[in-house]
Amino acid sequence: MKTRGASIAACLTITTLLVASCSSGGGSGDDGADGGPVTLKFQSLSDQPAAIEATEKIVADWNEANPDVQVEIVPAGWDGIYDKLITQFNGGAAPDIIHYEAASIVPFAVDGYLADLSEYMSDEKRADIPEGILDSVTVDDQVIAYPTELQSYMVFANRTMLEAAGVEIPTGETMTWDELREIAKATTKDGAYGLGWGLASPTAAFMAMAPGFGGQYFEGTGADASITIGEGEMALPELVDEMAHTDSTVLPVTLTQSGSETLASFYAGQVAMTIQGSFQAANIANDAPDGFDWVVLPPLEGPDGAEQAANPQTLSVNIDSEHVEESAEFIEFFTDTENLAALNEADALIPATTSAQEAMAASLGDENGWSTILSSGQFLTSAPYLFVDAYAQWKDTVATPAYQKFLAQEIDADQLATELEAGWDEITK
Amino acid sequence: MRALVRPAQYVALAFYILFLGFPLLWLISASLKSSGELNSLTVSLIPQDFHWENYSQALSRQGLVRSAWNSALVAVVSTMLVIVIALPASYVLARLRGKIRAAGVGWILVSQVFPVILIILPLFLILRTIGLTDSLVGLTLVHTTYTLPFALWMMQGYVSAIPVDLEEAGSMDGASRLTVLRTIVFPLLMPGIVATAMFSFVSSWNEFFFALVLLQSPENYTLPITLKMFIGGEGKVALGPLAAGSVLAAIPSIVFFSIMQKKLTGGLLSGAVKG
Repeated sequence: MKTRGASIAACLTITTLLVASCSSGGGSGDDGADGGPVTLKFQSLSDQPAAIEATEKIVADWNEANPDVQVEIVPAGWDGIYDKLITQFNGGAAPDIIHYEAASIVPFAVDGYLADLSEYMSDEKRADIPEGILDSVTVDDQVIAYPTELQSYMVFANRTMLEAAGVEIPTGETMTWDELREIAKATTKDGAYGLGWGLASPTAAFMAMAPGFGGQYFEGTGADASITIGEGEMALPELVDEMAHTDSTVLPVTLTQSGSETLASFYAGQVAMTIQGSFQAANIANDAPDGFDWVVLPPLEGPDGAEQAANPQTLSVNIDSEHVEESAEFIEFFTDTENLAALNEADALIPATTSAQEAMAASLGDENGWSTILSSGQFLTSAPYLFVDAYAQWKDTVATPAYQKFLAQEIDADQLATELEAGWDEITK
Repeated sequence: MRALVRPAQYVALAFYILFLGFPLLWLISASLKSSGELNSLTVSLIPQDFHWENYSQALSRQGLVRSAWNSALVAVVSTMLVIVIALPASYVLARLRGKIRAAGVGWILVSQVFPVILIILPLFLILRTIGLTDSLVGLTLVHTTYTLPFALWMMQGYVSAIPVDLEEAGSMDGASRLTVLRTIVFPLLMPGIVATAMFSFVSSWNEFFFALVLLQSPENYTLPITLKMFIGGEGKVALGPLAAGSVLAAIPSIVFFSIMQKKLTGGLLSGAVKG
């Protein structure tokens, strides 16, 4: 983008001088000081029509029950929201209640922009949120957000292709990566591949599923974090490499596609299975051709278990809000069992509280693999990378290009490990 | 042989138009496909069945019409402001000699250097001080200043291309300075004005980042902000409604260009007569 920075600054300075005399300054807004109701601004990133509707209903219910504390939704999009928020915080114009994801909200908390919600979170809520999920929104022993929605990586399978290959559909609580590899081998035939995995941006998937292999990547927090690329961290990339290039059971083009793009191959019967974010269950149910028989396989388990690193969507409160307590009360209401279940059903995601997961499981049964997907919620845990200052930069500038080169066989495993560590050292030196 | 030249030219032109227009055709095609068809490996320009719901979803879901109106308002007003400011300034810049001109040119060039992310915070604070954040007036001012340097640079090139001799001839015939500008320079400059206006309009119409940061209220959102909201978190994209929204969003731009293109041709002709 071409920029005209200096000119903008110069012209606006002049404009400031000209207009300042006839301006009374900054924003207004009803803060309840005159005895009227308090109005809380809630910047929501809900994007799906059903989720928008669910959010509006929760807010409407709150507003009806709390005439003195009215909540106003300010819809925003995910694209560019980090830049928008950082400007809002620095400009003193951030909304009271902020919807975002844990990985991005933690740096704001570290920089002191978010209120400590520890004292406002009820004991029931605290007990209802799995420990690993609560850890993902806890910074320096302060709860800086309420987690709301989660996703896990699941295996979606074409039941017809698996059965035609003589594969017994796994039904246990979990399935191992070795089972996945065997099924992929069995179903790779007649021009079709066993697996399609959209790994155009592989870092998120590799980081999320590394705990199953004992991979942690980072130790420490903030600017003092260090990285270790050992066997646990390399296990999954190497497994994918072997499946793709030794077993030849991964449709090659999918390694360069996004998850959504890979679904076309899944629908067309080019791949028997695909690893996707759990939310894709809703899209598959909507977009798969008539008669397409699909199933969600149990959560994948590595040598160290089926844990996956969680990056929940969150609601937090601007520390400069004049109504932190009221905002926290609203979030407590927003995340009650019924509301969270309704929102997650609309967004096809996994609720962050156990009670809401159970409520969804009870109401949805096994339709579209929901019971299996919801069961994966128990394996979601805190991710060390959430608390690392330079993670985003490392991910974009080092990890993703290095993984892409590795999957394209431009570098080997040793070179990948070296690049990941050296890139981190370069960024943090 | 000569008889074949004209048909060959038409064929080449047809291919060129098809090449240029294909993205738009593809966009229109995508806007009429169902989600299932968009996520299928079967590729076809003609949709299997015409899924008009994408348009109703695009219109109902994100306040697209209001955003288009906001975008049009900001783009047209900022374009007018840019032209009004750039017209005399570019004339001075082109005709003046000496240190002031050098400083002016230097300012224009330097202003291209700074990344927008560097200036967004001071800009936000300035606008907040004067109460113009979350305001279409504020955004119009920003778009005007954002576009002005390049518009100046562009237009001073057009002014420089007009021979000074023509103005001197007019003066010799007794015309005042203002008459010379109005009757000789302005008609010859019309193509430059139109081209600059087109550039300014497109810059403002497509601008995303300033609008994203400066606008807070949905009722003030411009089109790029609204269209981006079709792209959700976790990789979710409402492709059909997004394509439909993009087709609708392109219409005002196409109308504007159709009108301005006629003016551009008119300007060229009038310039030729005067020259």
